[in-house]
Amino acid sequence: MLEVKNGGIETTVQDYPGRIGLLDQGIFPAGPMDDLAFRLANLLVGNDPGAAGLEVTAGGAEFVFTDARVIAVCGADMQPRLNGAPIERWRSYEVAPGDSLALGWLNGPGFRAYVAVSGGIDVPVVLGSRATYAPGEIGGHEGRALRAGDRLPLGTPSSAAAGGRRVKPDLVPTYGSEWVVEAVRGPQADPDYFTPEDMDFFFSHAWTLDRNSNRTGYRLDIHRWQWARTTGGVAGGHPSNILDNGYPVGAVNVAGDQPIILTVDGPTLGGFVCCAVVAQAAMWKLGQMVPGWDKIRFKEVDIAQAADLARQLERVISADSLERV
Amino acid sequence: MTQHDGRASGVILASIPAREGRPQIVYRQAGDRFMLVEFGEMEFDLTMSFRVLGLNRALKEHGLDGLIETVPAIRSILIHYDSTRLAPDGLIQAVEDLYEHLPPFETLRIPSRRISLPIAFNDQWTRADIARYVEHIRKDAPNIINGNNLEYGARYNGLRDAEELIEYVMATEWWSAAIGFFPGLPFLYPLDRRYAIVLPKYNPTRPWTPEGAVGIAGPCLAIYPVPSAGGYQLFGRTIPIYDPKQRNPAFAENPILLRPGDRVSFGPRVSDQELIEIREAVYAGTYQYQIDDSAVFDVGEYLRFLEATREEAEAFRRRQEEAAKRTPVP
Repeated sequence: MLEVKNGGIETTVQDYPGRIGLLDQGIFPAGPMDDLAFRLANLLVGNDPGAAGLEVTAGGAEFVFTDARVIAVCGADMQPRLNGAPIERWRSYEVAPGDSLALGWLNGPGFRAYVAVSGGIDVPVVLGSRATYAPGEIGGHEGRALRAGDRLPLGTPSSAAAGGRRVKPDLVPTYGSEWVVEAVRGPQADPDYFTPEDMDFFFSHAWTLDRNSNRTGYRLDIHRWQWARTTGGVAGGHPSNILDNGYPVGAVNVAGDQPIILTVDGPTLGGFVCCAVVAQAAMWKLGQMVPGWDKIRFKEVDIAQAADLARQLERVISADSLERV
Repeated sequence: MTQHDGRASGVILASIPAREGRPQIVYRQAGDRFMLVEFGEMEFDLTMSFRVLGLNRALKEHGLDGLIETVPAIRSILIHYDSTRLAPDGLIQAVEDLYEHLPPFETLRIPSRRISLPIAFNDQWTRADIARYVEHIRKDAPNIINGNNLEYGARYNGLRDAEELIEYVMATEWWSAAIGFFPGLPFLYPLDRRYAIVLPKYNPTRPWTPEGAVGIAGPCLAIYPVPSAGGYQLFGRTIPIYDPKQRNPAFAENPILLRPGDRVSFGPRVSDQELIEIREAVYAGTYQYQIDDSAVFDVGEYLRFLEATREEAEAFRRRQEEAAKRTPVP
């Protein structure tokens, strides 16, 4: 059992890849915002890389374990402490019944930390996943963020679970405050909807992530787009309007003047244009951006390049990326 | 809109011109794991939805390797695929092959459940959120008359009064062309064009909408599955279409009630008090949703119906246009 002493700002149970196959029912996949740190944390404790673990956003959470487990904390530096003593991120530790894991405030770049526990968090599977999907109030623990007093059941640990393992230092992702995010042109990129100048601006501007950004969407700066059309025709008066269609996960959706990246809890369908889509292999970076502070530049890649990046990322999600301390 | 004449350019991976029996189809890249397939032009044509759902069903049944899921909408399908296993060209070729082997459009018979939902018009819950909107967001919103959107809706469509608007909403079946935005939210379009209400959206949008609220914007009717912000003109409230706690047998297999290709009608018309009682029965598990599972939608028959009612529908559309010109937009 994992007892929540303090849920912090927003701590949720997630699994990877979340709820796949429900886009046509209005459900985005949910899952961790940073799937790279999340999956490495699971590997460290001997779990399947997609097993259910915790996503701690912006810091300030505390948990107590009621039985012997192996744990790991990956992602942003929230100065993790085990029974009050500092521990390292990106490595596994053995915990005993009664041990307490505390995450403090953010220390340096990055925004989300991931806690994996051997055996995984054994909340009920809802529509194929344990991931918390707050807009639909399903998954995770009662479909919501964790609060003090919540008690989460844990699964059976694998015999491979052991403390004293770490992610090879050269494979630990580095975070900063200025991000380069690989993105592929979206369905309404030039020439019918955006002008070539609009797209050049999109791929060269250092966008600021608005502080009103969360798991449903990442808002970027307001920009006066040129637009290739003067109106949206039957779909509405503004040239950003189209007849409603499905939205890709990670799409950069432009509603009027404001671009919004549709993150893992976002809307599945709507009537605004999408100029680009964040490459699958770059989605993890979004999870570590600090709203209201960090800058993003989009680097254009084509589908084949993005598929290569995805293959490279998958190769990192492997026991070969770990070593004994 | 630019004409593409079969050339691929930029994000357009392929463009197949219209020819006998099929509209233009444009394949657009949508990132490295999605592709958007668009039918015809950017215009409102409900019959495109039948083609979309015909192809969508074929795609699902075919089970192409590397295909993950599809998202049908009014004139498009968003395909989710694994580009590390299936190259875009291979996907396009597979979709084209499937489309070519679909039966002729006029002979399509689409499994299409018929579902009727009780509704309270001009109910206390939507009126309460409209009152909050007037108090906190916009005092002079022209789409709010006497604390509701029905009277504005009647005026904008050239109808006598709110009562006639209600008759129109109840007179037609509504085609579910897509589910999305929020979990389980249906995008419903009127099958009988003689009663096709059109309305502009709220401006600015409304921060609150009750769960179960029913509203229209453009030609589209939506039912709100969860309490949320919204922009549609509200005219009533119905029973839950989404229940994450799965408290009724209708939600036993899935917390989402509606699917693309369903036909929804509204009735019986109930009072606020009756709606409260029905909603309680829904959550108690004793209310039985009115669903005909075995119904089939015959495209050819519907096309004949459209033809037979064309003049009347056209007359209403002209009346609407005249009325809309005289009515302020929000």
